[in-house]
Amino acid sequence: MRVKIGICYYDSNSEYASLFNNDVIIEYAKSIPSVEQVWIGKVLELTASDLASLFKSSGVEKIVIAGDYPGLIKNKIDLAMKLAGLDHKKLALASFSEHALFNGQSTEMAKAVLLCAVNGLDFREVAKPGHNTVNKDTLVIGGGIAGIQASLEIANGGQKVYLLEKSGTIGGHMAMFDKTFPTLDCAACILTPKMVDVGQHPNIELITYSELKEVQGDAGDFKVKINKKARRVNISTCIGCGNCAEKCPRKAASEFDADTSLRKAIYIPFPQAVPNKYLIDADNCTYVENGKCGVCVKICPVPDCINLDEKDSEIEINVGNIILATGFKVFDAKKIERYGYGQFPNVLTSLEFERLINAAGPTEGNITYRKKDKKGNWVFKEGNGEPQSVGIIHCVGSRDENNNKYCSKVCCMYSLKLAHLVREKLPDAIINEYYIDMRAFGKGYEEFYERIKTEGINMIRGKTATIKQKGEKLLLRSEDMLNDRMLEDELDMVILAVGLEPANKASELAKMLKITQDGNGWYNESNSLSDPVNTNSGGVSIAGLCQGPKDIPDTVAQASAAASRVLQNIINNKVEKSVFDLSFKDIENRVNELITEVKS
Amino acid sequence: MRYTINTDLKKELKSYGISEWNDCFHCGNCTAICPLTENGFLFPRKGIRQIQMGLKDKLTMNVDPWLCYYCGECSQTCPRDANPGELMMTLRRYLTSVYDWTGLSKKFYTSHKWEYGFLGFFALLVIALFAVFLPPAKAIFTNPELFINDQGGVMINSLVNGITNIEFLHFVEIGDLTMAILVALLLISNILNMYNKVILKDKSIRIPLYSYFVEAWHLLFNFVAQPKFSKCDKKNYWIGHLLLMTSYTIMFTVIVALLPKFQIEEVKPWYNWQRILGYYATFGLLFFLVYTAIGRFKKSDVKFEYSHVSDWLFLILLGLTTITGILIHIFRLTGLPVATYFTFVIHLAILVPMIVVEVPFSKWSHLAYRPFAAYFSRLKKAAYKRNHKIEIAQAA
Repeated sequence: MRVKIGICYYDSNSEYASLFNNDVIIEYAKSIPSVEQVWIGKVLELTASDLASLFKSSGVEKIVIAGDYPGLIKNKIDLAMKLAGLDHKKLALASFSEHALFNGQSTEMAKAVLLCAVNGLDFREVAKPGHNTVNKDTLVIGGGIAGIQASLEIANGGQKVYLLEKSGTIGGHMAMFDKTFPTLDCAACILTPKMVDVGQHPNIELITYSELKEVQGDAGDFKVKINKKARRVNISTCIGCGNCAEKCPRKAASEFDADTSLRKAIYIPFPQAVPNKYLIDADNCTYVENGKCGVCVKICPVPDCINLDEKDSEIEINVGNIILATGFKVFDAKKIERYGYGQFPNVLTSLEFERLINAAGPTEGNITYRKKDKKGNWVFKEGNGEPQSVGIIHCVGSRDENNNKYCSKVCCMYSLKLAHLVREKLPDAIINEYYIDMRAFGKGYEEFYERIKTEGINMIRGKTATIKQKGEKLLLRSEDMLNDRMLEDELDMVILAVGLEPANKASELAKMLKITQDGNGWYNESNSLSDPVNTNSGGVSIAGLCQGPKDIPDTVAQASAAASRVLQNIINNKVEKSVFDLSFKDIENRVNELITEVKS
Repeated sequence: MRYTINTDLKKELKSYGISEWNDCFHCGNCTAICPLTENGFLFPRKGIRQIQMGLKDKLTMNVDPWLCYYCGECSQTCPRDANPGELMMTLRRYLTSVYDWTGLSKKFYTSHKWEYGFLGFFALLVIALFAVFLPPAKAIFTNPELFINDQGGVMINSLVNGITNIEFLHFVEIGDLTMAILVALLLISNILNMYNKVILKDKSIRIPLYSYFVEAWHLLFNFVAQPKFSKCDKKNYWIGHLLLMTSYTIMFTVIVALLPKFQIEEVKPWYNWQRILGYYATFGLLFFLVYTAIGRFKKSDVKFEYSHVSDWLFLILLGLTTITGILIHIFRLTGLPVATYFTFVIHLAILVPMIVVEVPFSKWSHLAYRPFAAYFSRLKKAAYKRNHKIEIAQAA
């Protein structure tokens, strides 16, 4: 007996909507034999009773809601089915955003998802790509807190881990932070022991100053080519004495200090770096530029330790699983010109301020003005004077249709933390926070917010629109909407709470590893509720910020989860292949097989 | 004072322009980026809030929309793409209909039938008046050279059959003045209504009597030069608007108050002050029309992205009036009496409905409301200062 099926096609216009060719899918939906009627669009505008009469008149018995987010209209259809006297249990969802986010073949997969829903089959059950055996070694990409945590979990489980890091040291952004919210623990005190563990762990092979070049093979057996950038210092013989850096004539902005201080061209990123070995910044080295200099080679007490002519090399490793933990970069505040970041010396990003207030930062934790030194460099220096009023502007680049639409999640909390740290160092300073909504989303965070409010910090609901330089001061224009007035505040220093964005080479990596990104560039997990660490690409897991903005506790939790997935694969010697290997034809055949099985 | 929440307010506002009022999440960016906002006059956000909450009474007491000159900076930087600039424009349309006690404004803004109907009625009325009372002299078809003066131009006041040229001029002048008085009476009554809503109903302030006189010069100053507009960051808008404004005012004054001096039989040399004035005004109008029409077609700027029917009507009517006016001038100079007569009739058939319908009830009423809004806001400010002594404050 043929069951008449109606399909409500619903295009929610979400960030994924552009991946699907609606016309093709609708055409296909109409061609499925049991489908009686396809209702396109308008579902939102019609009331449940209107829909019910539509259902009745068409004589359908079962309804499928298809679209990128069909769950959004499920309640209405449910009600309409009840009104139409249909068994509302005969309602199926075909969610494209949940199952059909595929590189380049999303439309084909959407068709498959629809077919499964029409036949009452669970797509995840049908689309099982099969398993591979597993190479026990694992590659973790990214040496921030997520990568460190995941590596340690797997290594402590007794398995070999390669930890790949593009800069000269592991540690990532967390190493740059002063304190963590809401407990105000010292970030370095938590992170550096873990970094040392990584450096000393017999199961972890650290590959720093290197980048992923090529990935071949399938889940369980990847052949990975890694480009080892020329460090120009032999990592196994360098004793870290520092003589070279002392004599090196060239200076460059320190990445670790978020460009707030200068380091030499031969440098250790920061004193607790792992590995604690020097490296040469080729972009700023006189020898690399014109072949003249080589002071470091002459002064180095270890023979043949520094090789200024070293070239990039390539290594190849075989791994079974890959964990991506590539983190984030901060929003470029120069994009919002009216804040004058980059023009006014005392408008800082939060990351810069994080270094400024850090006891290991450029001023040993004293908050000072940024002023021009004798050589014409803008620097923070003791003796520059202390600002007596500081403003913190929330949501810079986040929740903004002109920049990033999403909420970066952590900015409210770190801004509160920074306000507290300023209050600690400058007890008499005026501190203003200009916020839109205060998002204290985690355990203990609301309490933290309440505590900060009692510390004499002005919480102003109203985003600053413009910053202008007025003599030595900065003039901020904002609306204080809770007090129904305009504010023109003259402050000494302004901190922009910049949002988070996917790391620079995120999409390159996504292509190499065949995983998908959402509209904002964050990596897609295969299911945000039930499978938050796996991706649609077999054997590749994600952890930390690269999946979306989150705070340190969430990052660490996700890293551990990713590690547990990998360990599970290794213990079972079985890893699920990539669903990408399946084509629409495969799924169609499987569906037909299953239907005939049920019938017989 | 108690305010009633009007849940239908958003629905009511729909036909005045942008209908999406819920996008705003109240970050305050628009108010803070606007160089014209000050304590006591926080817009656009506050107005949006009043709409979202359905505070109709408060909204009608709000003078703020008239203080905005729509540079579009708020819309450009709005993190929600809520388009606060256009929301202000929509509110100005709405307030025009609120001030108008006849209810025609509301009809014109919300129903095309009413607007086109009224425009068409007055156009036909003008044509009918000409057909019945001022038909063309037969001789302009048979002996056109009779109507050409020594300089080779058409004697415009002699084209009409049966009356002398002095009588014709008088006829037109009376029509002119009747129209002007009617329009002025309507506008004045609406402004009194505005005064009642904006000042009298606001019980929170008491305006000191002397400020009515002290601040009075703002009325004139704002009418002539729109000094507030010049405070916007985009200065060329102000210059463009000033060009239009002066051109329009010159034309209007010339047509209504000084007609006998301008609609004369002899053709003056080009450097005569009357002609120079006319050319300046024509150039100003043309420049503005072309610039705005291109802008609205191409949506080249934030303020042009959304065009209400009244915006297009404004351009079309003013454009047709200008073009027919230029044609009359050309036909006169080239000595074509028939063409001059009929173009003159068409010219008036566009001009009269435009002035009777658009000026008191539609887009052009801002000509009157803006200077008064500036004046009222000064009065309020004076009262605020006396009562609370408010100034822009530091947060601490």
